[in-house]
Amino acid sequence: MTARQQRPTLPFPSKEATVSPEDLVAQCQAGNVDAFETLYHQHAARLYTLACRMAGSPEDGEDLLQEIFLQAYRKLGSFKGDAAIGTWLYRLALNHCLDYVRSRQAKMNKLTDTLDAETSIQPTARRETPIARLDLERAVERLPDGCREAFVLHDVEGFDHKEVGRLLGIAEGTSKSQVFKARMKLRALLGRA
Amino acid sequence: MRLTLPIVIAGLALAAPAGAQDTDPRLVVREVVRTATARAYQGRNAGQEQTERISRKLRVGRDGRVTIANISGEIAVTGGGGDEVSIEAVKRTRGDRSELANVEVVIEERAGRVEIRAEHTRFRDRRGRGDSASVDFTVTVPASASVDAHSVSGSVKVSGVRGSVRAESVSGNVTTTDTPNLELAKSVSGDVSLTGAAADGDLTAGSVSGDITAKGLKARGLDLNSVSGDVLLTDVACERLTVKSVSGNIEYTGTIVRTGRYEINTHSGDVRLTLSNPPGFELTANSFSGSVRSDLPLTIGGNSGDDRGRGRERHNMRATFGDGSATLSIRTFSGGIVIARR
Amino acid sequence: MHPTETAINDYVDGTSDPFERNAIDEHLAACAACRQLIEDLRELKSATATLELRPPPVRAWGRIERAIRLEQRDRPRAVFPSVKSLYWLGAAAAIVLAALIFPRFLPGRAPAGGDEPAEMSASARQAAEAIESELRLAESHYENAIKGLEAAAKSDQDALDPGTAATLQKNLAVIDQAISESRAAMRAQPTSEPAQQSLIENFKTKIALLQDTVALINEMRKGNEAGAARIVSGLKNKG
Repeated sequence: MTARQQRPTLPFPSKEATVSPEDLVAQCQAGNVDAFETLYHQHAARLYTLACRMAGSPEDGEDLLQEIFLQAYRKLGSFKGDAAIGTWLYRLALNHCLDYVRSRQAKMNKLTDTLDAETSIQPTARRETPIARLDLERAVERLPDGCREAFVLHDVEGFDHKEVGRLLGIAEGTSKSQVFKARMKLRALLGRA
Repeated sequence: MRLTLPIVIAGLALAAPAGAQDTDPRLVVREVVRTATARAYQGRNAGQEQTERISRKLRVGRDGRVTIANISGEIAVTGGGGDEVSIEAVKRTRGDRSELANVEVVIEERAGRVEIRAEHTRFRDRRGRGDSASVDFTVTVPASASVDAHSVSGSVKVSGVRGSVRAESVSGNVTTTDTPNLELAKSVSGDVSLTGAAADGDLTAGSVSGDITAKGLKARGLDLNSVSGDVLLTDVACERLTVKSVSGNIEYTGTIVRTGRYEINTHSGDVRLTLSNPPGFELTANSFSGSVRSDLPLTIGGNSGDDRGRGRERHNMRATFGDGSATLSIRTFSGGIVIARR
Repeated sequence: MHPTETAINDYVDGTSDPFERNAIDEHLAACAACRQLIEDLRELKSATATLELRPPPVRAWGRIERAIRLEQRDRPRAVFPSVKSLYWLGAAAAIVLAALIFPRFLPGRAPAGGDEPAEMSASARQAAEAIESELRLAESHYENAIKGLEAAAKSDQDALDPGTAATLQKNLAVIDQAISESRAAMRAQPTSEPAQQSLIENFKTKIALLQDTVALINEMRKGNEAGAARIVSGLKNKG
């Protein structure tokens, strides 16, 4: 295993694994569905969370999760073991989310939602209570496409603007302004404007 | 009687000291003085101290540098005549005599430099268990040598050394006498006492819980710091001053110079500034709840905030004395401030 | 001239160059609206760091499993060309902000055990609030540094002998006492410059002591106890 920089990973609930990661992957590659279930439980929360935030809703997130793991099952044969399986899965999931978001933008599904989001941001009396996790989570989901993905990738997942640009196919400067826009919208949604 | 040096001991069983500050390739001689006593258990003489004495003399040259690093035990350095370093190390233990072997005295001689160290060969946990051995160093150096002495748990004393001096301890007192080139004197839980200390440039002294006391202190810049200890300076002269404490009192008795800048800060301690024949200065003295008073005839002007007139307590003062060339800034939170005239 | 969006973003993310940072600092000193904005964005960043993972619905695995079994039946496993793994060089999520400090400084909240502030005119109250929010920002800077250092200092106190550790703890308590006195003073008289100054000074002192403690612990841990005595001198950042 070569050394590589790893972003700090969030702890995720994991099923008790009685086999080593390498063995587990080998079993999955051999078609063992039980082994694949173990792998699923180890990584699902991380990928589901990413999918929900990138897609903007838990329903879409669940659909995406299913597609992600199906694709993982298909592509596992090409996993070479030169990165951790979690990293490989994450990368796969991220790509999938990006594809989804791009194709949806093409369909302009969220146009009405975007308008709703705009009009519903009314300056309310400034609330001084701390930002509740759930409020923030919901507010992120309400962000319009474009700035939401940039925000999730930069502020939540920790990519820098250059990487966000690369992933989303936009310029680094665009990433910065999208993140700023997302932050300002969140600020308004959370009663801080 | 002059002792001859043992031959260099190469390939030491000791691991190379992890913290060796520099690896001068021109190491000339390295000696590890091991206890020659048998390692067999010899019975515990409860309470009776076992000692072993080691003496060495080395040449270092008049401008040589001497470093003494101790872990448990005292250091006393004196400036003498000649160009020799004379080392007396006394190992002590209250346990079995064989415990003396747990600490080794390492003496390294390099070009123009001597390093003296105590190295513990057995793991010592934070309670000092593992071995009970300590070493006291008494060292004489050429008067114009430079000295760097530090102990973790033990006092450090330096006296009559004219070269640059740095003296530190973690939990011991630091005392210097007649050191015209003192750079640094610091402790964490010990007192720092300086007599006849001076520096051409800046002098730093500090303690966390101990007092800093100086009699006869002269430097260009002074930086003195304590958290819960007092800072008491008598017969002090400098061009720049920063003194801070949190709960300790600060006393400065001495002179200031024209265009000097002096800053004194404490939270709950009192400040007393006694000046002899001061040149002009501009004073800003502020306290949140402590009183500010001056016995010097000052021209009080500018924003005086709480000026409630004569006789009433004031919490801040902005005033000028003479031509206002020096700058004095004194702040406390709840302590009182007094500017006195000698 | 307010800073641009990019400039504000960089500032909040800590990626401004020093020149830009200074320019913004200067602007912030005079602009309460931007200060509020920066503070909000920082609070947001801090809250974002607390977001947690969501476990997927229980039914999700069942659906995946069904899809896989269909796959196995319909498509025997094919051999795919090797895919080069991509390595992440993800930037570290440099989000270490501590708990939000908002609740402590609600204007109008009586200081614990202190006197109620006397009646203030509307303009005086506005001035007081502006100053409070400014101090809140400064305080959050310091508190962040302090929390980071405290964690480091607590994590390995074992490296220090008990006497020294106790001395350091005791003196940290002395400083904390001073900090709480300064805070109380500031609530009672928000415009008092000695109160503000004392608070900032005490923060600096606490940080310096924590830094020295951490450095001391590191040296002890390295086994270089003699080097530890040297630490006492060098590493404190002045001011």
